[in-house]
Amino acid sequence: MKTTDIAVIGAGPAGLSCAVEAAKSGARVTVLDENLKPGGQLFKQIHKFFGSREHRAGIRGFRIGQQLLEATERLDVQVLLDAAVYGIYEDRLIAYITDGRDHTIKAKKIVLATGASENALAFPGCTLPGVMGAGAAQTMINVNRVLPGKKIIMVGSGNVGLIVSYQLMQAGADVVALIEAAPKIGGYGVHAGKIRRAGVPIYTSTTIKEVLGEEKVEGVITASLDEKWQHIEDTEKRFEADTVCLAVGLSPLTELAWMAGCEFTFIPPLGGHVPIHDRNMESTLTGVYIAGDITGVEEASSAMEEGRLAGVACAESLGYYNEKQALALKNEIWDRLDALRTGPFGEGRFTAKLKQLEARRQLA
Amino acid sequence: MKKSADVVIVGGGVIGTSIAYYLSKQGIKPILLEKDDLASGSSGACDIDIILQSKNPGIHLQLAMESAKMYTTLADELDFDIEYKTCGGMILIENEEQLKIMKDFVKRQKAIGLNVQLLDLKEASEIQPGLSPLLVGSTYSPQDAHVNPMRLCQAFSRAARRLGAEVCLNTSVVDIKVGKNKVKSVITNRGEIATKIVINAAGAYAPMIGKMVGLSLPIKPRRGQIIVTEPVPKLVMADVLCAKYIVAKYNPKLLEGSDNPETRLGVGLSLSQTHDGQILIGATREFVGYNKNTTHEALRAILRNATRLVPALKSIHVIRSFAGLRPYTPDGLPLLGYVEGIQGFIMAAGHEGDGIALSPVTGRIISDLIVDGKTFMDVSCLCPSRFRSLMKNEKVI
Repeated sequence: MKTTDIAVIGAGPAGLSCAVEAAKSGARVTVLDENLKPGGQLFKQIHKFFGSREHRAGIRGFRIGQQLLEATERLDVQVLLDAAVYGIYEDRLIAYITDGRDHTIKAKKIVLATGASENALAFPGCTLPGVMGAGAAQTMINVNRVLPGKKIIMVGSGNVGLIVSYQLMQAGADVVALIEAAPKIGGYGVHAGKIRRAGVPIYTSTTIKEVLGEEKVEGVITASLDEKWQHIEDTEKRFEADTVCLAVGLSPLTELAWMAGCEFTFIPPLGGHVPIHDRNMESTLTGVYIAGDITGVEEASSAMEEGRLAGVACAESLGYYNEKQALALKNEIWDRLDALRTGPFGEGRFTAKLKQLEARRQLA
Repeated sequence: MKKSADVVIVGGGVIGTSIAYYLSKQGIKPILLEKDDLASGSSGACDIDIILQSKNPGIHLQLAMESAKMYTTLADELDFDIEYKTCGGMILIENEEQLKIMKDFVKRQKAIGLNVQLLDLKEASEIQPGLSPLLVGSTYSPQDAHVNPMRLCQAFSRAARRLGAEVCLNTSVVDIKVGKNKVKSVITNRGEIATKIVINAAGAYAPMIGKMVGLSLPIKPRRGQIIVTEPVPKLVMADVLCAKYIVAKYNPKLLEGSDNPETRLGVGLSLSQTHDGQILIGATREFVGYNKNTTHEALRAILRNATRLVPALKSIHVIRSFAGLRPYTPDGLPLLGYVEGIQGFIMAAGHEGDGIALSPVTGRIISDLIVDGKTFMDVSCLCPSRFRSLMKNEKVI
């Protein structure tokens, strides 16, 4: 039976950061990811990161991904790709499929860093080819270098909707319009300004009424919404389009945590049902940690910090760090996490994360 | 919830809901108490088979045959689609040794009147394509059938309610009051119900209810793990079992301490395809207390056994797995009837993996017992007092 000290599930920003941090302590670390390439969403992030210097502001996402991968190699972390984990069983036995075959690995500690998945939206025509997640469109252009369409309607004005709109234009597509159901734009002003200057109209209080087409997307009918989110009659607009991108939020990918038996709490600003964890990122199951978007949807910088935190905590509980060493490292990470959760966009997440910790205290 | 009832039934699975229906049909208005939801226990974590062939020739098979007769008209009677379908069933035979045992089994079943025969591999493959060429043959009975157990519980419950029964979900029994060796009332998390008759139809949880009246029931939870595949076009033509299933069912002692995980886990093939095309692949028979987790070792063992016997399954994707707790009894037969010494306390549990097949007949027997004081077929050999020595109720027995 294959064994390891720490098995990290998911090779995105949280998982890789966790692996690197844990391996620095001397622990044996194995990372499993269902994709053929590691990095999660980092390799499609061609934009520069925000924040302060310690959060690698100004560096483009894919460069951070490269740096993390180099570090895993240097530290002898085993990265298993094309390894779809389908189950966590008693005594931390992980079962996964590689190359169509069933495998298992037994770990002393497990870190779930499975990330999040894009939310869908239901409307007539939502199953037509050409309707896709904005993240999927971003993967197509930035990783696979395939343009998903020429005339695009973007739904949702959070940072994902804004950034992907801009990148679709850079890749040669025409973003016909960006629509947003809320009365105001959700993402950073700097991103919205960029696409506005490029001539993309942004319609707030607007939603999709219907997507037209027989075999694929041929057009989109939008409608305005009143303050109760109801369609206002006679406000329909028709757009010619071949692609509809949905950037309407993300939900934590929590299946493995449910299956393993972690206890959950419901916090809508974090994406709904999220596993409860403590200050060390340990779930309610001893030896099972969580990090990144699975703990509540945030962004790559806080995912990486949570990954590091889980990595240090695992290393400590396995005896690779003593309490003092671990505390020094954890204090630095906690400070950086707090800094990331400030400002008009971070405050809500800060409060939501406090609730999650409160849920843990109540259980204890 | 009413404050009193003629009869209180504990358990909202295929047994409890069936009893509720047959009692209501005879004019009694019972209250059924279910701690979670209908079919939330083993009735929602099992396969879909109504198999006569797997029953031991004797009272067991007689019960199943009576039940099978009732099933043919049940959907119409309950006015609800329970996805009942006669599809036939076969027990795969792997070697000469098994053939010998099955020949005898079939002979005894035929004597009771079951339409069952032995097929060679060629004949078996004509009914069920994709079988392993290494098999010796199979049994076949055209009488075996399918039902959706979750829909069955719904159907019984709805029909019972139409006739005046009260079904209380999310209602758990906290205690049962007994005075002068007579049932007085049932205390639930939502209040007390005065009653003279309590029926313990709590399946694998029946011992907990029994304990409330001082009984130590010989029922034990036996875990069965089952795998579900993606929906595929019709591939499993009948309910397919293997001869090992029969061995695992009736001879648990033979399984203990084996080095082979398939044997130790009591793996026996049970294969059926649902109305929607998903294939259910089972199952294990394990004594692990009330643990309802699936295990990797068991899932592998189930799949290894299934693909060895039916290689055609190899290319189909598994989408999920689950486990249910079957109410095992030492003699493989349910406890049906009044408990001596506690007037008004009736047992209707311990069907192990046969609850689905025996659901209608159990409902009828128990309701006959309450209404007429006698049953339409002789089930005295199923009375709970056959385990008197095991039940250790010094107070009353």
